[in-house]
Amino acid sequence: MIQFKNVSKVYPNGTRALNKVNISIEKGEFVFIVGASGAGKSTFLKLIMKEEQPSSGTIFINGINTTEMKRRKVPYLRRTMGIVFQDFRLIDKMTVFDNVAFAMRVIGARPRAVKKRVHYILGLVGLKDKAKSRPAELSGGEQQRVSLARALVNNPTLIIADEPTGNIDPEMSFEIIELLNEINKQGTTIIVVTHEHELVQKFKNRVIEIQDGEVISDTGAATEKADVPIEISEDALAQIPEEIAEEIPDVSSEELNKEALQAIVDGEAAEE
Amino acid sequence: MRGFGYLIKEGVKSVWNNRMMSAASIGVLVSCLLITGAAMLVSLNVRSVVEQVGKDNQITVFLTEDVDELTAIQKVGPEIRRLDNISACEFYSKDEAIVEWQNELGPLFGELQGEENPLPNAFHVTMVDLSQYADTVANIKGVEGVDIISDRSDVAKRLTDLDRLVTQVGLWLVAALAIISLFIISNSVRMTMYSRRFEISIMKSVGATNHFVRTPFVIEGIVLGILSGVIASVIIAFLYEAMISAVKYIVPINEIPYSELSTQMTIGFILFGMVVGATGALISIGRYLNMEGGEILGW
Repeated sequence: MIQFKNVSKVYPNGTRALNKVNISIEKGEFVFIVGASGAGKSTFLKLIMKEEQPSSGTIFINGINTTEMKRRKVPYLRRTMGIVFQDFRLIDKMTVFDNVAFAMRVIGARPRAVKKRVHYILGLVGLKDKAKSRPAELSGGEQQRVSLARALVNNPTLIIADEPTGNIDPEMSFEIIELLNEINKQGTTIIVVTHEHELVQKFKNRVIEIQDGEVISDTGAATEKADVPIEISEDALAQIPEEIAEEIPDVSSEELNKEALQAIVDGEAAEE
Repeated sequence: MRGFGYLIKEGVKSVWNNRMMSAASIGVLVSCLLITGAAMLVSLNVRSVVEQVGKDNQITVFLTEDVDELTAIQKVGPEIRRLDNISACEFYSKDEAIVEWQNELGPLFGELQGEENPLPNAFHVTMVDLSQYADTVANIKGVEGVDIISDRSDVAKRLTDLDRLVTQVGLWLVAALAIISLFIISNSVRMTMYSRRFEISIMKSVGATNHFVRTPFVIEGIVLGILSGVIASVIIAFLYEAMISAVKYIVPINEIPYSELSTQMTIGFILFGMVVGATGALISIGRYLNMEGGEILGW
């Protein structure tokens, strides 16, 4: 799914953020990226999202060499990913519903599909009752769940979480990672950047440690993760209205995702 | 395109959310449109007056002393009529002329009758188009028997000069104000973009195309342009009536009624506003479209 081959990144000011990094992450994996501040973790994520271009080496995402990808095709690559930020990045003037719906609207989803899908996802992260609230009215943990819902709403194949527990208390942090674990069980690849070793140790997932721009340890893929059946917590299920729960197979935005991938492969970035 | 309604809504909403800057943009653009419109209206009316003067304007073509009445009527007259740009050519005998002089200046010219009459025979010639005055006069001078031609082009010349001045000054003013409008509108849109940079960074991170990010801002510019066009159209209708009344008080003129111009003026104003608005918006957008993530937020 993600392959870094001899990737180096040197910023214009001379800072060498990554040095000949080789990393391979398979589809359906849950990976923690750990390391001290300035180790190169964020650069690693930016390179995956193609916010930055490597100075040397090649990066493959879903078999596509993104280092050679044209700028106008980048949006279609990003539609296959969901991003969770440490500072949540929620829009204060929008309700929880609109914050999540925003991610669907900007890729041109139909209003009816937006309504169904957002309610479903909010149910999934346990925030169905908070749909009309503003981010400022929520706790840190709840805000991060909204951010997670936004990352999930376009049904990405990859979730990237940059320090998702950095601004929330330990109990909530555990819940967020638990939620990401549940999502991972449905086949979504998860990459979590964190420096909280305690949290990493609680979950038996693959851990890649970066230091001074180099991979200094990699525990390798976790075992027996692939065939775990889909599980949604009972609390989350209880919050999904019956009529929507019945329609869940229809409201999936998988179609959007396929379109996005197809556009990358076929070069049909006609909108640009 | 899917989601176009959403983009339009966002663009329109942004005009209101950013209303102080929108008002400033509209103010400058309306001023620009009013000056453009006023220059255009003055020019159109001057041209109409020049045309009117041309219709009424006669020049007097004096013949040489040796040309008698019969020769003038039979030979010179038809030759002048054959020239281009001549709408009428009436014979004006030296006997008629001296009588007119006597009537105007008194018995001083009483002696100057018959053989003593020093005035030459002449023709009153009316031109079709006064702007071709010089060429026509040169052609008339080429006719055998023609001596001198009274210079009555001054009125037309002044009016034509005025028209040229109004057009030139108007063009420079419009160019200067269009640049100022572009600057103000691009700044207004830039402020909107700055205040929405957070949304833009999220849009880009979830896979919005540049086209999607750009559209609401271009719509904002277009909406500002349309509003300016409509406001300027209403103002100029009132201004025109007031200006014409004031001018008519001093000089009687046959103005072009505004009803004949209103449709073209309104459409022209709105189109001009839309083009300036959209261009102003496009100028500001490029910067953000080339940025990514934290860069957009200034981190």
